[in-house]
Amino acid sequence: MSAAARDLEDMVEECPADSNEAGWAGVCQGCPGKELCLSQGSQPDPEQQVIDTRLGAIRHKVLVLSGKGGVGKSTMAVLLAQILAGEGQRVGLLDVDVCGPSIPHLLGVEDQPVLDSQWGWQPVVSPLGKIKTLSVGSLLSSQSQAVVWKGPRKTALIRRMIKDTLWGRLDTLVVDTPPGTSDEHLTIVRLLATTRPSGAVILTSPQRLAAGVVSREIRFCQKMNVPVLGIIENMSGFCCPCCSEVSEVFPGGAGAHLAEKYRVPLLGAVPLDLGLAEAGVSCGWRDSPVAQAVRDMVAKIKEKL
Amino acid sequence: MGTPEPVLAGVGNTILVLSGKGGVGKSTAAVQLAATLRAKGHRVGVLDVDLCGPSIPRMLGVEGRDVLTTPEGKWVPVSVDEEERLKVLSVAFFLDSKNDAVIWRGPKKNAMIKQLLTSVVWNVDYLIIDTPPGTSDEHISVMENIRQAPVLGAVLVTTPQMVAVDDVTRELTFCRRTGISILGIIENMSGFVCPTCSECSNILASGGGEQLAEKAKVTFLGRIPIDPTLSRCTEEGLNYIDKFANSPICQIYHSIITKLTRQTDEEMEVEK
Repeated sequence: MSAAARDLEDMVEECPADSNEAGWAGVCQGCPGKELCLSQGSQPDPEQQVIDTRLGAIRHKVLVLSGKGGVGKSTMAVLLAQILAGEGQRVGLLDVDVCGPSIPHLLGVEDQPVLDSQWGWQPVVSPLGKIKTLSVGSLLSSQSQAVVWKGPRKTALIRRMIKDTLWGRLDTLVVDTPPGTSDEHLTIVRLLATTRPSGAVILTSPQRLAAGVVSREIRFCQKMNVPVLGIIENMSGFCCPCCSEVSEVFPGGAGAHLAEKYRVPLLGAVPLDLGLAEAGVSCGWRDSPVAQAVRDMVAKIKEKL
Repeated sequence: MGTPEPVLAGVGNTILVLSGKGGVGKSTAAVQLAATLRAKGHRVGVLDVDLCGPSIPRMLGVEGRDVLTTPEGKWVPVSVDEEERLKVLSVAFFLDSKNDAVIWRGPKKNAMIKQLLTSVVWNVDYLIIDTPPGTSDEHISVMENIRQAPVLGAVLVTTPQMVAVDDVTRELTFCRRTGISILGIIENMSGFVCPTCSECSNILASGGGEQLAEKAKVTFLGRIPIDPTLSRCTEEGLNYIDKFANSPICQIYHSIITKLTRQTDEEMEVEK
């Protein structure tokens, strides 16, 4: 095998990016990411104290994660925030998806700018139930603007979103993440580490193919010491509005499979629903058949906080 | 540094499959496009640059295979069929267990992608590059590195909802900024035919892709409904295009490929 190929396989297997040896280990020599790992690695962060003060005022911090894209992370994050806010909690929703922010659209705050006050960024307040929210989408001037950013810049922005945002006292902060296990995830988990996040809700769709990708996300949580609150299987069947027959759109049963394999609770399965697809924008989901399923899941999540 | 290595050596033409949104069926579309090109008699390669969530090997039923290396230190892509007309390379082949998480920050991903673009012996007419969602490191690296390579353009995949269309609009802006030509838009998951009563419901609304195509003045390539059979085939790594050659979805893909390759076919005719 060639030297290049071998090097690469070593890199894949032994990357210490998430450990204290980041940037110092033998395999880091010659890695293009070495400088970055060094700068973000084991040294204490001078700004951590400011960050801890901000985050200390927030009782529960819940991450919504999934290795797979398009399984309904943002929709579920919005539903969770809406239901909690409906119960009288003070809720915040942070969207760390830098390249594809959809929270502003779902919460109906697309046209509201984020104000820069002397105490930091003022999160936008959604009309759909007093949810304080911050997203890259609110910081952009136009909806079609593309955020073509590389990792280090995304990291810097997420730090600002945590450090410089005036969340105030909150009962729960829901964090919506992009798909994958990369810069955004490492950054947010590391920033929350000292104030201990309550845990992560993992989303999957029923296909086994999704399970493969999502299990990587569970391994990520285990590596980073983030407790997994449970798994939600979304898009689990479709209830035909014409004949009310529930059909399997995506076969697989990935939720139950993952829950058993990694011994984490299965919080529930949510079918596809026309009302839910528009959730947040119209609140149409409140009368839909899946509303109860979602409420039960939120109750289970609350028990674990 | 020495002389730069040639990018995508042995590739006739490259098609990128992009989408700002995740889970809209980029990988599924990439696999079906490749299978359709193969059914039309071309030699096809699929390169999966989704480093954190590679799913192509599973869809093609070649999970867990080993990538061989030539004496010159180049990678030999894994062949899906015996005639070696469909080949694939993905970072999944380098991971020990299929559940291993690749937790990489940007700069490292860039290095990996550069390797994937320069050190593979392809020998194919068409190469389909499947990308992760977003407009970040992977995409910038691919765009930076394929400048000198023969690139046909990008196919954008979207689902019909407005939220997805927003994200795909950003991807369009990205393509325009990086100067890659847009071959067209595919609207995936457009409607679901209830197997009990045959009523077609637009689960995720409808028409978003076509509207976007019209607004952005790019070709609308086609609308593909949700089909549990296709879903099952991708789960089990079966070739849907060959197995269900008469299905409506298969025909849609054939028409998409015709639209995509018309230009290159004409050029070939002229040369002849």
